[in-house]
Amino acid sequence: MSSFAIGLASFPVLLGLLALRLPIGVAMLLVGGAGYIMLNGWLPLISTLKTGPYFQFASYSLSVIPFFLLMGQFAAKAGMSRALFRAANVWLGHRRGGIAMAAIGGCAGFGAICGSSLATAATMGQVALPEMRRFNYSGALATGALAAGGTLGILIPPSVILVIYAILTEQNIAAMFLAAFVPGFLAAFGYMAAIWVFVRLVPEAGPAGHKAGWAERWTSVIETWPVATIFLLVIGGIYLGWFTPTEGAAVGACSTGLLAALNGGMRLPGLVDCLQETAKTTAMIFLILLGAELFNAFLALTRMPMEAAAAIGGSGWPPVLVLSAILLLYLLLGCVMDSLSMILLTVPIFFPIVMGLDFGLSPDETAIWFGILALIVVEVGLITPPVGMNVFIINGLARDVPMLETFKGVLPFLLSDGLRVALLIAFPGITLWLVRILS
Amino acid sequence: MRETAKGAARPDPLGRALARLCGGLAIFGGLVLVALIVMTCLSIAGRALFSAPIPGDFELVEIGCALAVFAFLPYCQMTGGNVVVDFFTTKAPVRTRAAMDLAGNLIFTAIAGLLTWRAVLGGQDLYRYEETTMVLAVPVWWGFPPAVFCSAVLTVVCAYTAWRSAVELRTGQAGEREAGGL
Repeated sequence: MSSFAIGLASFPVLLGLLALRLPIGVAMLLVGGAGYIMLNGWLPLISTLKTGPYFQFASYSLSVIPFFLLMGQFAAKAGMSRALFRAANVWLGHRRGGIAMAAIGGCAGFGAICGSSLATAATMGQVALPEMRRFNYSGALATGALAAGGTLGILIPPSVILVIYAILTEQNIAAMFLAAFVPGFLAAFGYMAAIWVFVRLVPEAGPAGHKAGWAERWTSVIETWPVATIFLLVIGGIYLGWFTPTEGAAVGACSTGLLAALNGGMRLPGLVDCLQETAKTTAMIFLILLGAELFNAFLALTRMPMEAAAAIGGSGWPPVLVLSAILLLYLLLGCVMDSLSMILLTVPIFFPIVMGLDFGLSPDETAIWFGILALIVVEVGLITPPVGMNVFIINGLARDVPMLETFKGVLPFLLSDGLRVALLIAFPGITLWLVRILS
Repeated sequence: MRETAKGAARPDPLGRALARLCGGLAIFGGLVLVALIVMTCLSIAGRALFSAPIPGDFELVEIGCALAVFAFLPYCQMTGGNVVVDFFTTKAPVRTRAAMDLAGNLIFTAIAGLLTWRAVLGGQDLYRYEETTMVLAVPVWWGFPPAVFCSAVLTVVCAYTAWRSAVELRTGQAGEREAGGL
């Protein structure tokens, strides 16, 4: 068996093991280790395992991940979700479907201090769901809007997955965050537009709420100042070079932690909860990172990614077609896999392929653009059946709504997602103009 | 995805002790993270105000981050936080799933054991070479004893989860499971 064939064969084996319920990190360690032994022998493998894992965990650039995770945990306890939802609701709530639009707006605002979709969906759901049920919103619209809105948590910077993509592909984290900005806003507006259309077709799904006075509108916006301040400090500080991404994440975690203690009333049990949730997610991510490191070392030995990239680059297939095929594959994988695993599993293969294609962009721009596109389609997996984690979380909060209703409620948002991805593929400038202006 | 059939796996003394140990390690690692973010903020403030950052702040983040991550690993495995694709097996009988989980947990036990063993040797190497960090001149091997301890705990926890799957396989009743993700 040639090393190229071994590299190619490793993917079906890996996917098979995943289907048989092996945790992804363990599966990558197993397949990567076995492949490494086949190509290089047992001794080189066990000698890299002496200090390799320790030094991978003792990495300054990776430490940004637990810091951002801790920030998100604190943010969930900072009591800002209520203020954010209210600020959006006083402006939008009196329209038909307005409370659902306000939930989207609240999610977008919360996404600015939280890099995780599940936390955004869960936190916003607790606040916005009772309000929508109070005004007799249909279960499908209420839960669908929140499940979709949750994905904004990871689209709008800071975003844990974007950070991991940037580290993996050696891109500038600040530039990635900047590029995610416009697509994130587009996503929020697209979701609101989806609600607007939906309640025109099904008016009883989202009745109008109360109309708020101007004084109330402005005071409730002002009440969200801590979120705006933290967001500007963290993202602005990283972008302006005041501090490294890791330092920015530390500043964000410190300030949301203070906010949780002072404003959200977080006490010792709440702190313990935050620490243990951070522990769980951090360990999950780092185990996958450890597996991915070994698996990628093995893939690099086979030279399979480079040869595949060269073959596809020289095949004369239209670049947009290849890109679309990759994104379509992400959509399919997203039905059964979680977003982070997908990124770590596929980027080593797809990234060189995409970089080998000519889209008329500079290499850095191609890398950023592909990262944003991949992030969006990977996140769509959070709201598609059969395994939509956001859908499960919101549905768990609204026990009286059948799961099928929630999946139906997500449909308009999926359409909006599809339109947006098509738009972003057709016009890379939408993603890149902010990066171009500011650099 | 969410299967909560309680009662099948009553927490046994070993399970309770391990859960407490893992939970404690997770909190310890979390406190290390908190210390790191506070230290980093102080260092930024010192740099901005007095052009005097805390010396070796990057090194401290690296050492602390490794310590925290190793301390987190057993908790994640104990609480079932490692992501599994269960789409293809949700309809499978409990025993089939338990058999797969048993195999998976045994594989993880072997890998965790291998990592523990290699980390012992790696730490010894670094001790012999007397390698130190650049700024603070902290001996690099200092990071290894805690890492080895946590890896050893992880190995025990993996073996315990394998035993738990074996019980599920025998009784045909599913234990508690939680879903993880970002």
